Amino acid sequence: MSDVSTDSAVARTRLAPVIASIVGVVMLAFLWVLVSADPNSSSEADSPLLGQPAPAVSTTTLDGENFVLSYRKGSWVILNFFNSTCVPCIAEHPELVAFAERESQASNPAELYTVINDDSDDAVRAFFAENGGDWQKVRDSDGSISVAFGVAKVPETWIVDPNGYVRLRVAGSITTGLLDEQLGLLKAQFGS
Amino acid sequence: MSNAASVKNKWTWLLLTLVAIALLVFGGTRDTGPKTQSDRIDAITKVIACPTCQGESVYVSRASAAESIRAEVARQVASGQKTDDEIVAFMEARFGSRVLLVPRSTGLDALVWVLPVFALVCALGTLVFAFRRWSVSGSSTVSDADIEMVEQALRDAE
Amino acid sequence: MFAAGGINGALGRALLLIGIVGSLFGAIAAITSARQRDQAVAKLVPRFALLVFGASVGAFAVMERAMITRDYSLAYVQKVGSNSTPALYNFAAVWSALEGSILMWVLILAGYTLAVAYWLRKKMDDVLSRYALGVMFIVSLFFFVLSFGPANPFGSGEPGVFDGPGPNPLLQNHLLVMFHPPLLYLGYVGMTVPFAFAIAALVTGRVGEGWLLATRRWTLFAWGFLTLGIILGSWWSYEVLGWSGVWAWDPVENASLLPWITATAYIHSVLVQERRGMLRVWNLSLLVATFSLTILGTFLTRSGVLNSVHAFSESPIGPWLLAFFAVIVVVSVGLIGWRGDRLHSPGSIDSPLSREGAFLANNVLFSVFAFVVLLGTVFPLVVEALQDRTIIVGEPFFDRLTIPIGITMLTIMAIAPVLPWRKASQELLLTRLFWPAWCGVLALAGSVLVGATGFAPLLTFAMGGFAAGSALRQVVLATRRQGLRGLVGRANGGMIVHLGVIVISVALAASNSFTHSQELNLEVGKVASFSGHTFELVEVVEEKTERVFSVKARVIVDGGKAYAPAIARYLKQGMTVGTPSVRTGLASDVYLTLEPPVRPGSDTARIKVFIKPLLLWLWIGGGLMALGTVLAAFPGRRRKPTAPTSDDGIDDVLVML
Repeated sequence: MSDVSTDSAVARTRLAPVIASIVGVVMLAFLWVLVSADPNSSSEADSPLLGQPAPAVSTTTLDGENFVLSYRKGSWVILNFFNSTCVPCIAEHPELVAFAERESQASNPAELYTVINDDSDDAVRAFFAENGGDWQKVRDSDGSISVAFGVAKVPETWIVDPNGYVRLRVAGSITTGLLDEQLGLLKAQFGS
Repeated sequence: MSNAASVKNKWTWLLLTLVAIALLVFGGTRDTGPKTQSDRIDAITKVIACPTCQGESVYVSRASAAESIRAEVARQVASGQKTDDEIVAFMEARFGSRVLLVPRSTGLDALVWVLPVFALVCALGTLVFAFRRWSVSGSSTVSDADIEMVEQALRDAE
Repeated sequence: MFAAGGINGALGRALLLIGIVGSLFGAIAAITSARQRDQAVAKLVPRFALLVFGASVGAFAVMERAMITRDYSLAYVQKVGSNSTPALYNFAAVWSALEGSILMWVLILAGYTLAVAYWLRKKMDDVLSRYALGVMFIVSLFFFVLSFGPANPFGSGEPGVFDGPGPNPLLQNHLLVMFHPPLLYLGYVGMTVPFAFAIAALVTGRVGEGWLLATRRWTLFAWGFLTLGIILGSWWSYEVLGWSGVWAWDPVENASLLPWITATAYIHSVLVQERRGMLRVWNLSLLVATFSLTILGTFLTRSGVLNSVHAFSESPIGPWLLAFFAVIVVVSVGLIGWRGDRLHSPGSIDSPLSREGAFLANNVLFSVFAFVVLLGTVFPLVVEALQDRTIIVGEPFFDRLTIPIGITMLTIMAIAPVLPWRKASQELLLTRLFWPAWCGVLALAGSVLVGATGFAPLLTFAMGGFAAGSALRQVVLATRRQGLRGLVGRANGGMIVHLGVIVISVALAASNSFTHSQELNLEVGKVASFSGHTFELVEVVEEKTERVFSVKARVIVDGGKAYAPAIARYLKQGMTVGTPSVRTGLASDVYLTLEPPVRPGSDTARIKVFIKPLLLWLWIGGGLMALGTVLAAFPGRRRKPTAPTSDDGIDDVLVML
């Protein structure tokens, strides 16, 4: 806008209406962009990892056992990135507990793991002791698992298929219904 | 002003320009020793955006995701197997293009690089065009009022 | 307590309502009297300004009272008030979120309206004055409505609340929050005054330079505060945010910089209009652009379409601001299109190598600068609108494009002050630039000698020296001729501002290019060293109050005083904030931050050290700019009428000087 109107200051003929119209059109386009801008656009759930082999994960669980993601091939694996002080993590926890309870009755159950994001072992133990959930919690002390998956903000839930490919990323709180639905769709598509 | 003085003046200017260019070339290209790992980490984290805080670089941000990325960059720098660009590419492969702080120069994103140059060319073009017209139509007779104005201006300029 | 709260809420709302009514009637009185040339109605206009100002002062005082007495019947106090906030930060808490900021905007705008009305009290028979005040009243009506409607700070809150979280932790750990927002707003809102006169000039079609001379000082006033506000904002960022930087090209920062750029362009190009009667439409456009950019910036940062570290609140005022922005653009572009040719002046500029030519080059650069900043700020929105993708345009983009612009500006800054109006010969230029060029080369040689590297910083130092030489030459010549009076006035004060800008450019180049940083794992009793400094950990202590739980590491730097970078957890917000500790020095700052994880009572701590050369000079440069602005605001030397002369020797006489 600004550089165009220099013209009007220096020209001799009736340039002002022409230039003002051009500036006006540019400003209208600009206003359209601003009007269509979505306040607080949500972070998308897509990830470059979808459809790719899952990053190598090798760590230990809270109980001191080794955890290697590639050894879990053959089962659907659900990774829930978690921090005991994050409010949506606390909010979604009962849903995960309900999901895990039901899944344990299934014939070929999906395996659920909590990945501890930037939290202390004690705080996590205390949280699970109070709120339930007897699945394995795996350590990510240096944050490398979170970075390997590209986890931006906990909670995030990821699904890895039995062949070790990343199939789903859910950023933000999850529900039992959403997990069931997505897992069902994925199983139908990629085989159980 | 005498002719001799102005010639001398010109030689000094030439000398000054040459010295300035020499200093710039010397200072601009000299080797400052190997980069420390910390320098590399800073350089890399300055072009990676923190995924949870819009627009801030990992270098700037103190958010937890940024701390994790910084730690990962530090590990990859320490292992010494990847170049800076490869580490940035790794992050893009994991987090997607939303961690790139520098817009790409392809597709629609290239506009953000092209438009400023276009604006500069337009503005300079307008200026050149304006001076052309002024030099064609500018008054060639100098009135007393003009001279007074010039004189005042010169005084003011001092 | 509830009764008192009810009083604060009701009183505040009533005062805002009075403000709305006062602005509305003020606008009507000003504009009808302008259209019908009615002197009697015009006399009333300043009274409305007084009424509106009274209402805004009252509303602001009621808000402060509610905050100080912790009146939790108001939703706003529930949001940003807290029983444990120290008094000073509690006072500043009023402008720590959106509603209060808008209230402050209203207060300052009403203050400007009253000041303009007082200033025009003897000139109310001029139609242009009435239109200008009318525009002021319309803008103030908009902000009063905004404050009464979607951003009402006097809304009542949930019952049964007896404590709140307090302001954002980042806004309660440094004294600068007391000064930075009010000063910035004084600058931001002050741009309304020249805008009002620009619109009035367009409406009346008054082409003369009279109104312009009159508003120049208003613009300078607002510009000075905007400059100070931006610099204090950077200082806050440096002292609080803990990444050792002063500027991150964040949307909120860009929003404050954009009107500053266009206002700076105006301050320069208006001189061409004063002297030569040219560039009238261009100058009007710059004033309109400056004001619309303040509204656009507020929209971008307050509506949630762009997020930033400085955006401490979001609310539904987005559509309002956008609509207002659209109205401003449509009205001003329409008026300029309609009146533009009439304002056109027949003059011409003879040579690019002249004072006018330099101002034009300056304006081209500033326009491109503003365009780059605006484009970078809104480009993610464009991509989102067209392709529904999220991209980020970050610091590296701005750095790459603005550093060349900045260096070119320094070059123009070196040449322009020695250029005469109309036309300069090459001879004259070379002679006058002789000593400044020496300064440039010496600065370059000096910086190469102390080990500076890289083309961009070296060019900055060289051109900085060149420009400083040029500015100093002007100041020295003026003071030699007039003594201390040679320091005041537009041209001389302007040179002091230039010196400030140069000092800031050099400090920015040095601190950005030559910062060294290192993480140190310190242990009590062991001395670590980095970059010629030694660091020794004394202890890691914790401090707990009702408000904040902080862990401090006390570190002795270079065997002297102990510095205490800390990590503080603000208990009410559950937010953790790092607080850096800085040892300031003329040559370089030592900037310490405490890195997590922290263990109170432990004898180890992880400290990140940044060595930032010349950083202190940023603030010194800011002080110089402020000083220069004050000096420039005083009237300079009276121009004595001089006899017309055709003496060609005048150039040589001046050259001798």
